[in-house]
Amino acid sequence: MIELLMTVFSATFFVTVIRTTTPLLFATLGGLISDLSGALNVALEGMMLIAALTAVIVSVYAPWYVAVLAAMLAGGLLGALMAFFHLKLKADIILVGFAVNILATGGTVFALAAATGGDKGTSINLQSKSVPAVDIPFLDAIPGVGPTLDRLLSGHSILSWLGALTVFLVWYFLFRTPWGLWLRGVGEYPAAPEAAGIPVSKVRAWSLVASGALVGIGGAQLAMFNFIGFTRDMTAGRGFIALGAVLLGARHPVGAMLAALLFGVFEALSIVMPNLFNWIPSELIQTIPFVVTILALVLFSYRAQRARQLKTLSKA
Amino acid sequence: MSAQSAVRWRAIRKEAGTTLVALAMALAVALVVVLLTSHDPYKAFSTLMGGPISSNRTIGLWIDDVAKLTLTGLAFSLVFQARQFSMGVQGQVYVGGLCAALVAMSPIGGTVFAIPVAMLAAMAAGAFYGLLPGYAKARFGASEIVSSLMLNYIAILVVNFMVRAYLAPAGTGQLMTEKFPDTAIFPAIIPGTRFDLGIVIALAATAIVWFVLYRTAWGLKLRLVGHNPGFAEYSGIPASTIMVSAMTAAGAIGGLLGAVFVQGRAFGNLSVDFDGNLAFEGILIAIVARSRPLAVPFVALFYGYLRQGAQLMGIRTDVPSEMISVVQAVIILLVASSFSMPGKKVIAKLLGQRAAPVTAGSAAK
Repeated sequence: MIELLMTVFSATFFVTVIRTTTPLLFATLGGLISDLSGALNVALEGMMLIAALTAVIVSVYAPWYVAVLAAMLAGGLLGALMAFFHLKLKADIILVGFAVNILATGGTVFALAAATGGDKGTSINLQSKSVPAVDIPFLDAIPGVGPTLDRLLSGHSILSWLGALTVFLVWYFLFRTPWGLWLRGVGEYPAAPEAAGIPVSKVRAWSLVASGALVGIGGAQLAMFNFIGFTRDMTAGRGFIALGAVLLGARHPVGAMLAALLFGVFEALSIVMPNLFNWIPSELIQTIPFVVTILALVLFSYRAQRARQLKTLSKA
Repeated sequence: MSAQSAVRWRAIRKEAGTTLVALAMALAVALVVVLLTSHDPYKAFSTLMGGPISSNRTIGLWIDDVAKLTLTGLAFSLVFQARQFSMGVQGQVYVGGLCAALVAMSPIGGTVFAIPVAMLAAMAAGAFYGLLPGYAKARFGASEIVSSLMLNYIAILVVNFMVRAYLAPAGTGQLMTEKFPDTAIFPAIIPGTRFDLGIVIALAATAIVWFVLYRTAWGLKLRLVGHNPGFAEYSGIPASTIMVSAMTAAGAIGGLLGAVFVQGRAFGNLSVDFDGNLAFEGILIAIVARSRPLAVPFVALFYGYLRQGAQLMGIRTDVPSEMISVVQAVIILLVASSFSMPGKKVIAKLLGQRAAPVTAGSAAK
C-alpha cells in the first residue's frame, strides 16, 4: 500500500496521468461539442481509431505535425459523413455512429494490412514518428521549487499542452462567441434558433465535423506519443469512456477536463499497478477504467436526477 | 382482412426492395475495394460470392453463423423495439458462455442434463447482465449505451482471466479449456458438419420472441413504450418496468447465444475472445430486419452467407476478411437512412430534427 501511495504521489505518475488523460480529453471535448449541438456522437471510438491509423501511416512519409493534421482531417471527414447521413438522409445518429465504429474496427485492420503488406496486428514494420515532448529547461533554474516544477512540467507531449489550451478555447467558443450560443441553442431547443433564422442543420453538421477533428487529435496522441505505432483495437474503449466523461462533466468544458482527468488517473493506475502488485491478475487491473466509468456514471446520473427532482419540487 | 394483408405485403415488398438496393450498393463498394487491393480480384470476389456453397463443410459453417447471427439479431431487435440502445449483447455472450462452460465442466456435464442446464445457466447469467444497465437507467437515469458498452469490456476481461488462470488445463499455457464431454456438446443434425442443434435453438427463439412481442400483453406494452413513450405513460403502462424487463429478456437471449457458442460443434470448449465480434453484428441484422423477429432469420441467412464468404476470402486469397466491415457499414448507413428510428430520446428534440432539413436545403443553396 505504501508503495502505491509513493508511486501515486511521484512526479513520474503525474506525467503518466497527463499522458493517459490527453487522448481522453480530446475525445471528451469532441463528444461535448456534438452533444451540446444535440447529436450524441457514439462514433468517438471509431473516429479515434481511424485517426490513429491515419496519423501513423502519414507520419511515415511526412513530419509529425502533418500527421496530426491528417488525423484531424480524417476525424473531421468522418464527422461530415455522419452529418450527411444523419441530417440529409435522416438516419438515426446512434446507428450512424455505430456504422462508423464497425467501419473502424474492421477497416483499420484492412487498411493496416494493405499499408504493411499483410500485417494485420501492428504497424511495427512502419517507421512511424512520434509527437515531440516539450522540455522546459529554464524551470530548473528557479531556486527551491525549480527541480520539482521541472519534473512535473517537462516531458509532456506538445499535444497535452494543446489540450489544456483547447479546454479554454472550447469554453471561450461556447460561452463567449455568438456561434457558441447558436450551437448551445440548437442543442437545447432547436425550434427557437430556427425561428430566429439560424441554420440549425448547418450548425449541427459543423459541430460533428469539429467533434471529429478534436477526437482526431486524441487519436494522434494515442498512436504517436502514448504508443508509437498502431495496433488493432488500440483505442480499447477510450471513445466510449469519453462518452461517459461528457455526461460526467456536466456538459461543460472544465467539467469534461476534470472527468477526463479522473479516468486518466485510473488508466494510469492500471498501468503502474501490475509492477507493484504482481499477484493481481492483469486482466482484472485492466477492468478498472471501465468499472470506474460505470460507477461514476451511475453516481453522477443519480445526483443529476436528484437535482432535477428538487428543482421541480421547489417550482411547484 | 385481405385488404389488410395486401397492405402488409406491399410494405414488406417495399422494405425488401430498399434492403436489396442497399445490399447491391454495398457489394458494389466491396467490388471496388477488392479491385483496388487484390492482385487477383476475380478469385477474391468469386470466393466472396461463391465460397460458402463450395462444400458441405462450408455450408455447415454458414448455417452455424446463421444460427448465431439470428440470436444476436433477436437480442438487438428486442431492445430496439423498446427503443433502448443497450449494446450489451457481447458482454452477455461472454458471461453466458462462461456459465455454460462451468456447467459443462462440472459433474453435470457428463449427464443428459448437461445441455439444458448449461443453457438455462447461460440465460440466467445473460439476463442478469442485461438487467444491470436497464436498472441503472430506470433507477438512476444512467445512459444505457455507455454502461452496457463498459460491461462488455468487463465481461471479456473477466472471462479471459478465468480461462487463463483457472479453466485452461494447468501448465499448458493454453488459452482455452479442454473439450467438454460429448454429452455437453450439441449433437450434429448432419454428421460431420457444424449443422447442429444451434440452428434449431435459433429458430425456436425466433418463434418465441415473435409470439411474446405480438401476441402477449407484455409485448404490446413493450412496443407501445418503444413507439410512443408519452402515450404509454398516459395509459398507465409502467414504462421503466417494461424497459428493464425488455433489456433483461434480451440479455437472456444474449446469454443463450453464449451457450450456443461454447457448446456448439464449432468450439465445444471455452476460449479467450471467442465471439470474433459476431455479437455486435446483431446491430446490422436488427436494423435490416427493422427489428421484426420473423425477418431476423432471413436477414441472418443473407448476411451469414456474405460473412462466411468474407472469411473464406480472407483464408484463400490476399484480401483480408475484415473487408466485410466496409460492406457492413455501408449497409447500415443506407438502410438506417431510408427510415428513421423515431422517438429515441425526447419527442421535443425529434420535432426539431424533423424541422431541421428545411433549413438544410436552403442553406445548401
